[in-house]
Amino acid sequence: MASQGRRGGVSLPDRPSNSTSILAKISRSSLVSRGKEAAGDAAFVAKKLLRSTGKAAWIAGTTFLVLVVPLIVEMDREQQLNDLELQQASLLGTPAPK
Amino acid sequence: MATTVPPPPAPAPAPAVDAKVDYFNLPCPIPFEELHREAMMSLKPDLFEGMRFDFTKMLNQKFSLNHSVLMGPTEIPSQSTETIKIPTAHYEFGSTFIDHPRLLLWGRILTDGRLNARVKCDLSENLTFKANAQLTNEPHMSHGMINFDYKGNDYRTQFQLGNGALLGASYIQSVTQHLSLGGEVFWAGQHRKSGVGYAARYNTDKMVATGQVASTGMVLLSYVQKVSEKVSLASELMCNYLSRDVTASFGYDYILRQCRLRGKIDSNGCVAAFLEERLNMGLNFILSAELDHRKKDYKFGFGLTVGE
Repeated sequence: MASQGRRGGVSLPDRPSNSTSILAKISRSSLVSRGKEAAGDAAFVAKKLLRSTGKAAWIAGTTFLVLVVPLIVEMDREQQLNDLELQQASLLGTPAPK
Repeated sequence: MATTVPPPPAPAPAPAVDAKVDYFNLPCPIPFEELHREAMMSLKPDLFEGMRFDFTKMLNQKFSLNHSVLMGPTEIPSQSTETIKIPTAHYEFGSTFIDHPRLLLWGRILTDGRLNARVKCDLSENLTFKANAQLTNEPHMSHGMINFDYKGNDYRTQFQLGNGALLGASYIQSVTQHLSLGGEVFWAGQHRKSGVGYAARYNTDKMVATGQVASTGMVLLSYVQKVSEKVSLASELMCNYLSRDVTASFGYDYILRQCRLRGKIDSNGCVAAFLEERLNMGLNFILSAELDHRKKDYKFGFGLTVGE
């Protein structure tokens, strides 16, 4: 230790050779690499899926805003007008004009 | 909200059983060029981008003046797929003279020099003369056309004469109480093109179905269903056999007491809505929206119409 310190560099003690080989073996094994590949693929597909769903949602949302929202608002107004007329008619006891 | 979904059309009442069609007393069909009138009304509102203001002043019963201002971007045609827009502003002055129902004179002039003029005149009980002209200060862009329409008892026929040696004729005949069939021929001498077309239209008071085929490869089918007094739904299928492009569109048309709302969606990814709201007597507010998702082209407009 002391001799290493005197040399100036800080280095980890040498790993026991047998553990290195096991870790390396594991990390180099086909199972792990296949798992890594699968994880990468899954991430890629998930990203694609998320992006396309987002796009679809955006298109559906804007379409809804343009086509359906004005319809809802106008139908609501019409309903209110009808209600008002009905109320007036019942209040006055005569059919409302128009 | 449940009311947004129009109720399914009520089952049609059983048709009156009269197998005997009175072939000598058929209704007059509508003109050949207005065959798709109902579908066009619902599916082709005049969408615009920017701001517009229209003012109409009736000077007397027959004569009116029209001022309108339109500001906003206009698309200029280009080869590239991207649309190029330049900001423009126009003022349009127009006058209309209507001596109902015999004579109509209509003229519009824009600040950039474009002039539109129309004449419609009843020469006799059955014969109508129509003329149409578009003049611009660019060469070869001016058009003129003259039509003679003859309206018979259960048929209509039209003869057309235009510049560029354009000749055309059409004929439409009522076949039964609801069905009418028609045909047209045209010859464009300048482009050395000629063609024939056939059309059929079936209308009852609940629905209108039309079909048209022309030798240019165009096939147009449309169907309009009147769901109720206020609501009608329209669909249209247009395909060009030669260039192999097909467009299907579907639209709704709501005519309410205070407003008229038209919406449409088509297979090109284009969504459009057009709202005309009556704010007051003779004061209308217009909102127009058009989204083209494929081209990423979004158009919004608002306007005001004063006087009617």
